[in-house]
Amino acid sequence: MPLLRSHGLLSLLMSGGLILAAPSAFAQVEPPTSEASSEEEPDPGNEVVLEKMELFAEVLTRVRDYYVEPKEEKELIEAALEGALSSLDPHSGYSPPAAFTEQREAAKREYGGLGIEVSMEGGLVKINYAIEEGPAYAAGIRTGDFISAVEGESTLGKDLNEAVENMRGPVGDPVNVTVITGDEEPRELDIVRQVVRGRAVRHRVEQGLGYVFIETFNNDQLTSDLVNALSILETDLGGELPGLIIDMRGNRGGLLDQSVSVSGLFLDGGEVLSARGRDSTDTQRYHAEAGELYPDMPIVVLVNSGSASAAEIVAGALQDRGRAVIVGRRSFGKGSVQSVIPLVEHGGALRMTTQRYFTPSGNSIQGRGIMPDMLVAAFPDKGEIRERFRENSLPHSLINPDHSDFEENYEDIVYPSEELPETVDFQLRKAVDILKTSRYQTLLQAQNYLPDGVAEAAAKANASQ
Amino acid sequence: MKYVLPAIGSVAAIALFAFSSANQTAVAVEPASNTNTFEQLDLFADVLARVRTDYVVDVNDAELIENAMNGMLQSLDPHSSYITPEQFKELQVTTSGEYGGLGMEVTMEEGFVKVIAPIDETPAKRAGIKAGDYLTEIDGKSILGLSLTEAVKQMRGKPGEDITVTVVRKDEDPKDITITREIIKRVVVKNEVKDGIGYIRLAQFNDKAEEGLIDSIKSLKKEFGGNIPGIVLDLRANPGGLLDQSIKVSSVFLDGGEVVSTRGRVASDTQRYNGEAGELAEGVPLVVLIDGASASASEIVAGAIQDRGRGLVVGMPTFGKGSVQSVIPLRGGRDGALRMTTQRYYTPSGRSIQGTGIDPDIAVAAEPDDGEADRRRREADLPNAILNEKAAAEEEDKEELVIDYPAEDFDVEQDYQLQQAIALLKGGQYASKLADLQG
Repeated sequence: MPLLRSHGLLSLLMSGGLILAAPSAFAQVEPPTSEASSEEEPDPGNEVVLEKMELFAEVLTRVRDYYVEPKEEKELIEAALEGALSSLDPHSGYSPPAAFTEQREAAKREYGGLGIEVSMEGGLVKINYAIEEGPAYAAGIRTGDFISAVEGESTLGKDLNEAVENMRGPVGDPVNVTVITGDEEPRELDIVRQVVRGRAVRHRVEQGLGYVFIETFNNDQLTSDLVNALSILETDLGGELPGLIIDMRGNRGGLLDQSVSVSGLFLDGGEVLSARGRDSTDTQRYHAEAGELYPDMPIVVLVNSGSASAAEIVAGALQDRGRAVIVGRRSFGKGSVQSVIPLVEHGGALRMTTQRYFTPSGNSIQGRGIMPDMLVAAFPDKGEIRERFRENSLPHSLINPDHSDFEENYEDIVYPSEELPETVDFQLRKAVDILKTSRYQTLLQAQNYLPDGVAEAAAKANASQ
Repeated sequence: MKYVLPAIGSVAAIALFAFSSANQTAVAVEPASNTNTFEQLDLFADVLARVRTDYVVDVNDAELIENAMNGMLQSLDPHSSYITPEQFKELQVTTSGEYGGLGMEVTMEEGFVKVIAPIDETPAKRAGIKAGDYLTEIDGKSILGLSLTEAVKQMRGKPGEDITVTVVRKDEDPKDITITREIIKRVVVKNEVKDGIGYIRLAQFNDKAEEGLIDSIKSLKKEFGGNIPGIVLDLRANPGGLLDQSIKVSSVFLDGGEVVSTRGRVASDTQRYNGEAGELAEGVPLVVLIDGASASASEIVAGAIQDRGRGLVVGMPTFGKGSVQSVIPLRGGRDGALRMTTQRYYTPSGRSIQGTGIDPDIAVAAEPDDGEADRRRREADLPNAILNEKAAAEEEDKEELVIDYPAEDFDVEQDYQLQQAIALLKGGQYASKLADLQG
């Protein structure tokens, strides 16, 4: 599984099983467009569309004929497709044939990487996450650092794919990167590529409690790794798990089925989520398996604004079903599913949002995210809430009409004091406090998100399957 | 609107005529294979149908197609875009009407708004906005994903209204700057006597530029009792404006002859623009001051003065915006319009300005040497920028600029570049230097 990948790719991992899993997964994708469209000719009655299509054709020829340089029509159409798709929402887009082929091959290959998750910011490659087991981390690269050059080539003016292309390559070969940490002088590092297989779950005993960190859902071993981790913790703690912290801070999501099976470990059947398309008949309900591990064990789930997609599904399900207390900051709010639709003759593919997620109580995660039962900040109070990188701060993001005023209440947020050393994980500390005191029960009882009857309905739906 | 849109926005009105003539010579354009066109359009229609049936919410087909057209245009270069019918209507209103703005010329880079230059005596300038600044948010909302037109539209509004922009500057933390919109005043030319030399500041090329310049020269003549000993024409941080004004301004210092030519894709589509006969400032030694934020029309003037040997060009290399955008109405504007790059500018000696800009005859920096002054980013660094066809070759041949830097402890407020320009005119080197360059 490639661990060097773009933020963009990560965010579509929900459908992304399709992209990153075995190539056969493509068989599951909906039929190719050319076939589909032969069944669905554009509505002849729709004159506006026909007129706009005519206009489009005119614009295409104008650009072809009068632009200051000659341009291939194919290129122009590809740019038009990207323009149309990306205007829909931040997760829809178009992949030209070369990029799509690359994505598919990436799914098959086990290539060497540096063990970093990256995005593009201000012309630099930003390290969103440096995996602790990866060679980049070993070389001193940390989350929040920037890479300004790869093999001596500046990343300025490149898109993410171009910028990271040179980082990929055969395992065992070194790659030279220029790294910037904060205000420090840029430094050059030679890092040897490795096959980085992120452990799906990291666990440890935290002050007599079980602690698991789930970094990503993009790992088909996640659920079984988690079960193992829990039994190790149980043994370490003398045969009983008095409480569990599930840390999903910064978890960008991943495979949908893993979010369902992870939720299912702690739920005895019932609905975990539903995915609904435009047509009301296009609703899929996902249920937990009957039976649960550690039914009486208190659970605190840690989330923050970087917890997205599959992580929000788990947090939402455990919250709605009254199984865990959620602590931290409001989550990212990516509650949409993308489908990858290959354009067969053309070679490229569309990535398009086709469904939205809903928690068991029927709330859409989109834009809104999951609101913790207790709001705890990681850093001291700056006097205001400034959320920059959430789903609904992305331009053209799908709005959630039901929850437009769903905001964190500044007064409700617990902040660490200025004096607290930065090395102390304040959110984790609070989670431990909650589990060790009666605060847990109070918070659990205060959860009133689940309207009467929903659990029953969910159970019924489960039974009827 | 011409005050806030990038330089090109304003040039467009003029270039429009250029386009209609190009239209008549359309026969010269090689017809492309129609089968291919149909295939491509077919693909496009297929995708639209797919989006219509499967997208998670209902989509507006017309908007989708408009976004497709915009995507196509924006992929060409940073200055091309699709203009919706509403925007086109607005364009016509705001070109003549008044609106509240911030007073800066901007372009789009890396998905953010980049300031080419703030205009003198505007809210943007007073608020400390600098050339090269990136604006990442408007009133707390990210600009990412917006087109240039959308972003500019958000910056405009009622005079007196506040707007907060988040400014990202190299080596500094992002900061929020609140600016009050106001009607952008049309005073673009100022003059004064500095150290016995006539100093003329031209802040932008709007339709009052030539008039203001002529008034300035007349008033300087009066002050000097007839003979101006020398003129410094300051085009620094002048982001450009109207093409015809750049020709008229050049013409004030030139006795006829070519000022600039614009060339399209087809060789026959070349237009030459000549200065009027007669020269208002005849015989007056002239220094043109430029810097990395001198763009478009400023580069035309500097290039013409340089190529025609009329004066010395002093300062730092210019921005390199040497392309012409035409606004092409679709069905009279009912279907909007295209803003599209159709031509490049060439100086009288046939140099393309695009990408490379104009190099000064005498390179003088504004600030002490930090090892980076000459690496300020220019048009050629913009993603997708149209390349100068000869750029690669020229880049290799290009002599390294020998830059005159002020001393470490120089007070930047004292304007080293202007000091050096005046010294050049007052000392004996002006004539010999000019003669050297022509020899």
